[in-house]
Amino acid sequence: MKAIWSLLGAALLPLALAQGVPSDWPDPFKMQFPRLQPAVIQPTRVQLSNGLTVLLVEDRSLPFVSGRIYLQAGSIYEPDDKVGLSGLFASVMRTGGAGERDPGAVDEILETLAASVSVSSDTLFTSVAFNTLSENLDQVLEIWADVLIRPRFAQERLELEKGRALEAIRRRNDQPTQIAVREFLRRIQEGHPAGRVSSAASVGSITREDLLAFHQRFFKPNRAVLAISGDFNTQEMVARLERVLRDWRPGEVSLPSFAPPSPKPAIYFVQKETNQSVIYMGNPTVTAFAPGYSELDLASRVLGDGFNSRLFLEVRTKRGLAYATGGAQTQGFGWPGFFYGASISRVDKTVEVIELMLGQFRDLRERPVSPEELELFRNNILNAEVFRFTSKQAVAERIARTQMLGLPADYYERYIQQIQAATPADLQRVMQQFVRPEEFVIVVVGDQRQFDKPLSSLGRVVEVPLE
Amino acid sequence: MRHKLWLVMMLLLFLPAAPAQQLREQIRKYTLDNGLRVLMVPDKTAPVIHFNLMFDVGGVDEAPGLGGIAHMVEHMAFKGTPSIGSLDWPREKAALEAVDRARAELDQAIARGASQEEIQRLTAAFNQAREEAKKLALPNPIDQLFTNNGEQGLNASTGYDRTDYRVSVPSNRLELYLRVYADVMMNAVFRSFYEEVDVVLEERRQRNENDPNGALSEVFLRAAFQVHPYGRPLIGSREEIQGYRVDKALAFWRTHYHPNRAVLVLVGDVEPERDIQLVRRYMGAVPRGPERPSLNIPSEPPQTAERRVTLEYNAQPSLRIGFHKPTYPSREAYVMDVIDAILTEGRTSRLFRRLVIQEQAALNVSSSSASPGFRYPNLFVISAQPRAPRTTQDLERLIYEELERLKNEPVTPQELTRVRNQTRAAYLRVLQGGPGLAQTLAFYELFFGGYQRIFEEEAIYNTITAEEIQQVARKYFTEQNRTVATLVTKGGSR
Repeated sequence: MKAIWSLLGAALLPLALAQGVPSDWPDPFKMQFPRLQPAVIQPTRVQLSNGLTVLLVEDRSLPFVSGRIYLQAGSIYEPDDKVGLSGLFASVMRTGGAGERDPGAVDEILETLAASVSVSSDTLFTSVAFNTLSENLDQVLEIWADVLIRPRFAQERLELEKGRALEAIRRRNDQPTQIAVREFLRRIQEGHPAGRVSSAASVGSITREDLLAFHQRFFKPNRAVLAISGDFNTQEMVARLERVLRDWRPGEVSLPSFAPPSPKPAIYFVQKETNQSVIYMGNPTVTAFAPGYSELDLASRVLGDGFNSRLFLEVRTKRGLAYATGGAQTQGFGWPGFFYGASISRVDKTVEVIELMLGQFRDLRERPVSPEELELFRNNILNAEVFRFTSKQAVAERIARTQMLGLPADYYERYIQQIQAATPADLQRVMQQFVRPEEFVIVVVGDQRQFDKPLSSLGRVVEVPLE
Repeated sequence: MRHKLWLVMMLLLFLPAAPAQQLREQIRKYTLDNGLRVLMVPDKTAPVIHFNLMFDVGGVDEAPGLGGIAHMVEHMAFKGTPSIGSLDWPREKAALEAVDRARAELDQAIARGASQEEIQRLTAAFNQAREEAKKLALPNPIDQLFTNNGEQGLNASTGYDRTDYRVSVPSNRLELYLRVYADVMMNAVFRSFYEEVDVVLEERRQRNENDPNGALSEVFLRAAFQVHPYGRPLIGSREEIQGYRVDKALAFWRTHYHPNRAVLVLVGDVEPERDIQLVRRYMGAVPRGPERPSLNIPSEPPQTAERRVTLEYNAQPSLRIGFHKPTYPSREAYVMDVIDAILTEGRTSRLFRRLVIQEQAALNVSSSSASPGFRYPNLFVISAQPRAPRTTQDLERLIYEELERLKNEPVTPQELTRVRNQTRAAYLRVLQGGPGLAQTLAFYELFFGGYQRIFEEEAIYNTITAEEIQQVARKYFTEQNRTVATLVTKGGSR
């Protein structure tokens, strides 16, 4: 913690404090503050009679109640020929009517009450959330439960949402960054269901029966966690939940397992007429919070987290080659996350930027980071811990996901301990072990007629046509 | 169904006003001798403070030819001061002056049409001078300080009317924040200026040139505002950005960014009576500056005929329609907010239901009642993307039909109730705190005659009638007051 600041202090000492500010003002680089401990929020944990785990946090400061239930029903469980199913499922679940109400009636009452019920999905989970003024809690909770347990999936709303999804597919090549992100996620997760991309055919084939089957298969209370916070009394809320969820019966859910991604290293190039190139590069590493993860997280921050990361300093600050540049180690749950860097940069410097970026990854393998860099990002993680507890609902939702993911309850404390213990040698070791620039998946979207050098000067190029 | 709804409405009429009242009582306002207004909102949820420092300066304050300079100085304010970032200030100062001289010599050579060799030589000298200066400073010192101290959301944004600087830090870093920003306000050093010019050019390419929405916005606003600066791109044109020089940027900074033109809001773990002492010690040291100069910003003459522009672009078609209208505190501006909600807020809104659900003609439709700024008369804007094979012409026809309906029939009591309830809930949600509350308070304090205005607006919305909505719709949603921008697929459909 002290190394960098004493070093900088030494450099600044002779001239500090006299440069246009009163002489008694402290040198900001030497100001020391203790690390604050967050006031930990501990939700009450209750299991309903149908097996549903509920995490509750009372918060009487404003007249609102929020809740979100997580179900293990993500896009990785879609059949191969129905990619796009979970997204369509989520939108029609919310908009296709529920219980006794047709689609229009659900919208009408929620919007009149200024309340929301929403359904969203990602690779692992589908979640169903609500937010309401506490006065309307009973009505909104009833609608939320209907959407969760008794969605109607009205055929005409399925057709509507399919039509919109097809239009979104038609528009997905409009922005170069959107193309690059899609292509990178596809290539770096190749061989794993998370690497699949929807098509007009896969979306077109989805039927109401598919939505019903998806609901039937995954929506079981014993395989879900509900996080709820706000203006209520915990005991009363538990009784309410028992009542509105009484018809929801537990059941078995069997989830398939998948082989990890097996990407094929290459430069995947998409031709697009633009005056900037979008560049993504990286390789899969480890799952979140597995051995090596904490050190990779730190190394990735040195590489690409913010204004004082190497990519930012080299690509943007020193050379003005990009506005957006950075990188990270992603959190992979169930299959490895990846270590990556990205830039949106001048088209006539495309190959120069790629080489510059690759050089930053290599340097992290070849040499230990400076103690100053390590301290900067270590301090950032440690000092920012208080922000994990600024919202009660966010805390309850995080604990819900932790449970769904099967992480140990003390995973974050262990992570913090590893962050505190990490040395420059540790970062170099994980970089050498897990990050291999010569095996990178590199995606470039740009106009090759304007490139400074052909991409083939860097390695094997696979041209990817835009549909 | 109807019965139930009415019951609900009755309940809502009796919502407690307690939370708003509580918050209102907790807000503390101080005005320092230099004119800086400071608002503090204690919230003990977590030991953090969310800061928002907002200036009443933005794109409208730029002189012609200096488009985007407000945005450029926003970037430069992150580069530090003599005591934040310099490794040897006297030497760095001299090195920065050498950069300015080299730049001026190069500019003069280009202006007089000097030989290619001379320009090459001067370019090399300019680049050399920049390298020398860079050796004498830390590259991003303000970010370094805040990163080290656990910042969240360190950022800034420039609008047509305002600029704000935001960051959240653990609450015991209050003094660090004040030490840094008081210094920046007094002594900002625009180091690495020309590298940042290149960064801003990339930002322009990314947001305004390679993004179809950004590109359409630019042609749309240029057509809608022929005189007023709302018609200029906020980031500047490519030529303007390339023409930025340190002296001009610093002059803009020194003209505008003063404590008497700013509000500082702190939301979080603060104790106002204690913490204001520290705020006074640092922020109070910043000298008061001149008031906002009279800029003779030309007002936009009334539009006399429909304006239509098309942009050929390598993307799927989209549509933007704007109508000139007054801004706050005109009552008509509040009426337009209600119309905005009736047309596009939620799935039961008129345009969403008609275009997206019933006609299946649009992927999406949205609107904004105060675009692109709010300080001067602005636009009501409707945006929509057609669903093939439907076209932007189809969408235009449907939108105009709905606007005619708004003129010809009063909106229903249910619609008005829905909007009132949504307004009330949205307003209560803002009070939940965090960076959003800090920004909202700064905004109201700076532009609406005091933060208290937040607590009064709901009453205005609640008195807006169906008749007023009809009147305002008739007055402004006319063909001659309309600007229509269409993105047409290159070599394809609209």
